[in-house]
Amino acid sequence: MNPPTRMIYMNNAATSWPKPHVVLDAVRQSLSLPVFGSGRTTGSQGDDYVTMARDVLSRFLHAGPPEHVIFTQNATDSLNLLIQGFLSEREGDCHVLTTALDHNSVLRPLHEYERQHRIRLTVLPFREGMVNPDTVEAAIQPATRLMVMTHGSNVLGSVQNIRRIGTILHDHGIYLIVDGAQTAGHIPLDLETLPVDAYVFTGHKALFGIPGTGGFYLRNPASVTPVRFGGTGTDSFSLFQPTGMPERFEAGTHNYPGLAALAAGVRYIQTVGIDTIAARAKHQTAFLIHELQQESNIFLSHDHPDLPIITFNIRGIGNDDVGFILARAYGITARTGLHCAPLVHREIDGGSGSVRLSLSWFTTDEEVAYTASAVREIAKNADSSVRPS
Amino acid sequence: MRILRSVRHKVCADGSFMKEFLLDAPLTRDFFTYLGYFGQVEALPNVGDGFYKFEKQEWFMIKGFLGDTTIEVRFRKEVMDFTTDFLYFLLASYREGTMDLSVLKQRERSVGERVRKHLHGV
Repeated sequence: MNPPTRMIYMNNAATSWPKPHVVLDAVRQSLSLPVFGSGRTTGSQGDDYVTMARDVLSRFLHAGPPEHVIFTQNATDSLNLLIQGFLSEREGDCHVLTTALDHNSVLRPLHEYERQHRIRLTVLPFREGMVNPDTVEAAIQPATRLMVMTHGSNVLGSVQNIRRIGTILHDHGIYLIVDGAQTAGHIPLDLETLPVDAYVFTGHKALFGIPGTGGFYLRNPASVTPVRFGGTGTDSFSLFQPTGMPERFEAGTHNYPGLAALAAGVRYIQTVGIDTIAARAKHQTAFLIHELQQESNIFLSHDHPDLPIITFNIRGIGNDDVGFILARAYGITARTGLHCAPLVHREIDGGSGSVRLSLSWFTTDEEVAYTASAVREIAKNADSSVRPS
Repeated sequence: MRILRSVRHKVCADGSFMKEFLLDAPLTRDFFTYLGYFGQVEALPNVGDGFYKFEKQEWFMIKGFLGDTTIEVRFRKEVMDFTTDFLYFLLASYREGTMDLSVLKQRERSVGERVRKHLHGV
């Protein structure tokens, strides 16, 4: 195989690359004039990127009033604010549910609370990439107050049945926070009708923004106590955090270039069409999976992902080595290891980790075919491992 | 063979500490044969220009491709203070052809005692 003339990037579930030109232009444009921060300048030049991004995200996610979209640094930041904010005023026995599919951005905050004996935590299992809604219902206890769970697995690419799970939880009066880091931008969302109390997104993955942006949608602002306080440019005489949205949860100067980029990224998705993006991803993912299935020593962790995420191991060669070979010999950037989701790996590969290939709208059919050939070539040669010494 | 500089580093999922080094000469099969006197070498000779991996258990692991001037080294973090110097010495001591390994073996034993004591208390 001839190596490609440019890098093939298959690590979009970590951070998407490349970004649409309109995103890069938006960053440049946002820095070309002094930023306009509402209540923070007398200048009228420059766009109000924060309000603009809030409007764009709200419409894209069908999230109701734009003020219910809150901006943060990333999905982890959002999850911490929501989990801490929800639990901060809970007293007495508090039982929380999560899943073995979840990322450390969920698992670590919850385990920290469990270690401090502030909650009791149940981690629900999955089978073939899915958490069974019946398992969720069976795990509910009288003291269950909260469930925090991933929408799309960053390891297996499976999208959970949030509508069913959310309905069950709401029937029992249980609060649901959904980590949508892998789904926002990949699948159409209608948060007004989806039974979630909070939905977390990140800017730098499928929404095509840049690192340092993320946020969450919050249905009922009063349900979460703010845990971050500071200047908002509004109601400044008060020594307490404003209670109105979005200031209730947003303190300090916003990431203006990041939010300009995020808005541009979402608009780009709308221009292309999220259904068009999803259709191509489905086609390319199916092709890649079919190709890898031709080698008997390639083990796919999940052979029918809903998202363009393909995770595998090759018998006889460590996942780190496969990633190293892909990068150095074939110019393919992937990701190896645990992908910050240790419980998934405990289940699927005994905790040793795997190789992950993740695609984006900018991944070409040629790149997918080349990647498939590269992985198959490594697999074919893995069994011929020799010891020269 | 000498290490010119460390290009980048990270902590890996398994807790090891990875450093990528730029070398002053490309990797050869003979070099990995030499490393084989100090640990285990595995190879996938038909992958790329030849993928080689050297492992000195509990010390470090070296990965690279023949003809490449960079290597990835994964150190066992707890004993890095002892083993990093040995890595530099190991590479700098390499010469093509037959070599007297007695000084290296002596240094290996000395570092090995410190590693064992640190990791296992013996």
